[in-house]
Amino acid sequence: MLFNSYAFLFAFLPAVLAGWWGLSRWRRPRLAFLTGASWFFYAWWDWRYLPVLIGATSIDYVAGLWIARSESETRRRFLLAASLTTNLGILAYFKFAGFFFGSLNGIGSTLGLGAPLPSLHILLPIGISFYTFNSMSYTIDIFRRRVEPTRDLLVYTTFVGLFPHLIAGPIVRFTDLADQLKRLTPRLTSETAARGAFLLSCGLVKKLLIADQLNPYVGRLYTAHAHLGLASSWAAAVGYSLQLYFDFSGYSDMAVGLAWLLGFRFPQNFNSPFKAVNISDFWRRWHMSLSSWFRDYLFIPLGGSQRSARRTVLNLVVTMFLAGLWHGAAWTFVVWGLVHGFFLGSHAVLRRAGWTPRAVAVNRAVTFLLGCGAFVIFRSPSLGIAGDVLSSMLGLHGLDSSSQFAALVPFRFALLIGALLVFVNVAPNTWQIRLKPRVWQGMAAGLAAAIAVMTISQAHPFLYFQF
Amino acid sequence: MSARQAVAIGDVPRARAEAATQRGFVGGFLCSFFLALAAVLAFNVVVDPFALAGTGVVPTAVEPDRSIKLDLLEGLKRGPQILILGDSRGRQAQPSELKRLTGHTAFNAAVTGGSAPDAYVMVRYAAALFPHQKRRYIWFTDIGLASSTVQPQLAADPRARPYLPDAPGFGLGDVETYLSTGATKTSWRVFEKCVLAACHSLIRYHPDGSLTNQSLHYLPEHAKSLRADVRRAVASARARSETLAQWRHDLAAPARFAYLDRMLAFMNRRGEVPVIVLNPIYPSVLAALERHGFPARRATLEKIAQLHKRFRFVFVDCEDSRKWGGRPDDWTNATHVNRANMRRELGYIVRHSHGALR
Repeated sequence: MLFNSYAFLFAFLPAVLAGWWGLSRWRRPRLAFLTGASWFFYAWWDWRYLPVLIGATSIDYVAGLWIARSESETRRRFLLAASLTTNLGILAYFKFAGFFFGSLNGIGSTLGLGAPLPSLHILLPIGISFYTFNSMSYTIDIFRRRVEPTRDLLVYTTFVGLFPHLIAGPIVRFTDLADQLKRLTPRLTSETAARGAFLLSCGLVKKLLIADQLNPYVGRLYTAHAHLGLASSWAAAVGYSLQLYFDFSGYSDMAVGLAWLLGFRFPQNFNSPFKAVNISDFWRRWHMSLSSWFRDYLFIPLGGSQRSARRTVLNLVVTMFLAGLWHGAAWTFVVWGLVHGFFLGSHAVLRRAGWTPRAVAVNRAVTFLLGCGAFVIFRSPSLGIAGDVLSSMLGLHGLDSSSQFAALVPFRFALLIGALLVFVNVAPNTWQIRLKPRVWQGMAAGLAAAIAVMTISQAHPFLYFQF
Repeated sequence: MSARQAVAIGDVPRARAEAATQRGFVGGFLCSFFLALAAVLAFNVVVDPFALAGTGVVPTAVEPDRSIKLDLLEGLKRGPQILILGDSRGRQAQPSELKRLTGHTAFNAAVTGGSAPDAYVMVRYAAALFPHQKRRYIWFTDIGLASSTVQPQLAADPRARPYLPDAPGFGLGDVETYLSTGATKTSWRVFEKCVLAACHSLIRYHPDGSLTNQSLHYLPEHAKSLRADVRRAVASARARSETLAQWRHDLAAPARFAYLDRMLAFMNRRGEVPVIVLNPIYPSVLAALERHGFPARRATLEKIAQLHKRFRFVFVDCEDSRKWGGRPDDWTNATHVNRANMRRELGYIVRHSHGALR
């Protein structure tokens, strides 16, 4: 079920809010209701994958309890390894088995050995990358003794399955929700409802009125990848970067808004990433819950930036390679991750040498252009297409003819890009807006949400659903 | 009283005031959200641009030819001896030409986007109006033959409803359609034309259901450039990737043929043998489709063979326009022949109808 669907907005959400707040006197039935609703929400997509979610949840719940109970370090390590292997195994099977077999067959064909392995077409359970990471953070934190495991199965199932973050994040850690699940908000206050409604409408507007309006233009540009000139290729790169930002940050706003409506607080996922002044600042602002996950559970355990420059660069490249792979089983994501690893490593070296520019505007522009260039690889269906667009961006395919540019980059699209570039560089993000609720502001937000809802029939799925 | 207590007491009214403004925000949000959507829905239902609700206050943006054809049928003094059924391609067939070829009177009951439910309703309604008359039929259809999707315009007409037991009323899907910006823009266009000014349909019909000569220029299928339209159709034919298995699967669904089965059974019960005509495809588009094996055609011909085992009808394959002397210039777009080609096609149909139209 999509957040931007009639079924969700006019049936599922009102029913869940009524049930959740109606049961506010009874804690356990309330949690059971929310878990059931979240599982229904998940099963709406494809009920056959619900057992995968329930299985992963059950294994990590038991693993968490056993790790906490165990005194033996070896046993604790073994249990953690078993939990991580299960989660990564599920992820590897559903997400990477087909890619791995396909790549091996490709190598086999190149070497003249044919395609010895069967080609797998496994349907990816939606949200698997997100809920496995939620679960893994739980067992790792228990192993590190940073969090007490919950004995209450309902608390754990609610944490993993909570529908606002289940499909596309933000990646929420148990530490973020443990206290909130222990002491559930007893009643829906006007402040909670106002904040939730505001964020939900911001998300709807970002997704439906901005990202989805960019989608056809960007799609057309990438389809015509072989015929792009200098300007149209830059329009493709910048257009997609903006589309992805408004799409995913819109989804995150909706998720956080829905959490508010249920009385939960989720962490921030985007903090004006296009205002970043260097690439490492960009990663502190873009998909923050994922980048902090990789920082805390991979980069720092690898040694972080505390060792030599060479080791820091290596750690960054390994971390970003895996972050790229997390996004999907395709070489484009692998290369995108490696490119960001290279950017981050280069920045670390330049910063140590004191060679980074001082002018904020220059830093911002360079970071934005590098990010847009990397997103070309992220968006392209293959590395060949990414190569076409990137070489056009470097001017290797010449300038656009005026008729071609007018056909590929219509005035409306160019205007939209220009306006959005100003907006992302000047306007505060949704978390920076200090809401001073007034009736007219509520009416404006409601009207904006209604206009967004009216475009639902032309809506596209959220881009991050594929991960 | 300590300063701290004073602050705490002073905070109470402030907190109350804040809660009140927040309640105002939520109230304003909910009111404007639902009122805006309700207003849009009400506007679209009243204007009813796609004829989904059947309000009929202003003319619809889609062609209301189903009701027009039913009106014209009602107006006939004597029942037609040949009933022409089908979609927009069949609309070009002139009853006068059929009269010349066969000596029988005819009525063109083909409608835009027509399929089996439309044809079934026309057949039943004609039979109800002129019950003691045996009739001949030509049904123009496409690859895939039939669907059971009842067009909302047809379902909204009270004369058609008795023959459409499965027809949906104005449902949730239609609410979604009428909440959309697309429907609202269309409604506004209709509103501007028909309410703020006077509007009338540019497509008119003769009493025998055929299009008037002036209407031919305003048909939606009338392409500005035939060559460009054919180019697009060839590109789309090349991009098609469906398989024979997919088509066989689609054509095996019994629900798809519910209305066609009913119609053929009704005709055969009355001792009538219809002529089913497979519509022509522009030569270069057909060539592009055949280059990829054209599985849709094969599956359709298999389905026709299956239907032949259960019903009596004559099948005339007009897909390849070269067979009936069709000229590549006599098309209004890549999918619709013009009147000149239709005359040639009708001649071929009559000659190959094995006496079903005599």
